Amino acid sequence: MSSMSEAERQLRLLYAQALQEHLAGGGEATLRRAYELGRKAVADGLGVLDLAAVYTGAAAASMRNADSDGNAVEKAEAMHGFLIESLSPFEITHRSFREANAALYRLNEILEEETKRIAHMLHDDATQLLAAVHIALADLASELPSDLGNRIQEIRGHLDQIEAQLRDLSHDLRPTLLDDLGLLPALEFLAEGITKRTGVAIVVEGSTDGRLPPSIETALYRIVQEGLVNATRHARAGRAMVQVTRGPRSIRCAVRDNGIGFDVQATQTDKNRHSLGLVAIRERVNALGGALQINSSAQRGTELLVTIPLED
Amino acid sequence: MDETRVPILVDIDIVAARQNGRALAAQLGFSQTDSTLIATAISELARNIILYAKQGEIIMKPLNHSERCGIVVVAHDDGPGILDVARAMQMGYSTSGSLGLGLPGVNRLMDEFAIDSRPGSGTTVTVKKWRR
Repeated sequence: MSSMSEAERQLRLLYAQALQEHLAGGGEATLRRAYELGRKAVADGLGVLDLAAVYTGAAAASMRNADSDGNAVEKAEAMHGFLIESLSPFEITHRSFREANAALYRLNEILEEETKRIAHMLHDDATQLLAAVHIALADLASELPSDLGNRIQEIRGHLDQIEAQLRDLSHDLRPTLLDDLGLLPALEFLAEGITKRTGVAIVVEGSTDGRLPPSIETALYRIVQEGLVNATRHARAGRAMVQVTRGPRSIRCAVRDNGIGFDVQATQTDKNRHSLGLVAIRERVNALGGALQINSSAQRGTELLVTIPLED
Repeated sequence: MDETRVPILVDIDIVAARQNGRALAAQLGFSQTDSTLIATAISELARNIILYAKQGEIIMKPLNHSERCGIVVVAHDDGPGILDVARAMQMGYSTSGSLGLGLPGVNRLMDEFAIDSRPGSGTTVTVKKWRR
């Protein structure tokens, strides 16, 4: 019983008292107390099952000291009325959380669309404009004396750097490959880029057996991206592997590395930057009704296993 | 069935408002679950009056349209009013709000929700629920 908080102990006492008075004909006044007790339970952070346990305890007590000459059906109805009154505040929070969840899901989709738009603008519009500037400068350089022409060449060198930066930024935001060619080509491109930057060898293999719904392609791409960032940045891995397998009703994706691993349990309760990435992975998987398994040890590195169900 | 007015001045008035609301809901044929949710909404509205305006009233009446029937609950006070209605309706505005209780909670329990409030001229919250 030591696990019971003071708030819960207090609640048990007041709840049992109020129920007793309600059964003695307390009417609306005791129903209102039931509601207020439920409201306080919500505010104290108790769960709906905690309250159910409180009710069960109070109900059992009222059965024991029943001076019962009353009608059993009436008593059962009165108890039911009292119970749902105290559950009503939980109904409100339940509805509000469900609403908030749906809103977050929509917001995420809007943000992803917005990211896509910006990435494509950077990739297509901005680089096209830069190409036009390049050509104009080259023309200009050919008509100028050589010392001025050389300075134009310098400027063109800076333009090349800007163009490369814009492309990188665009790919980091959202690779056009993902929209144009699908998950595997995008993952291969992602792996190449990371290998180039970090020197970590990454193998991408498997098949999606055709295109997947955009929401799943996006989620898997982001999950692998996060997994590979973890592998190279935190796990100090030398090698990593991405495997995509299409099942009859699901798509599976594994990200493995030979890094130093991490404490999965501890990281999930800790709110640092690293665990935020894992939280994001878990949320993406949950949003698609999928399953996530993380195995990690210092000896065998880290393994991220994601399964997402596919609709028929 | 006429409208019922319950003045809200002290805590015990909340019980009277709930009782009247529940009785009217039962008369109109609402289920026990919905009657409980209506009583809950009345609780939150009346609590707001006592908390922020000190006094006001709750008015309840039946809604009879050709194809459907329901209940309307109006909570009115001449208190200081709400400076920022949009904010008061957001989650996280207050402790109650972050749990979804308070005015945002009332909004979720009822089918229609309207609020009219200006600083200095009180607050009127009108909520409706239709019988399913």
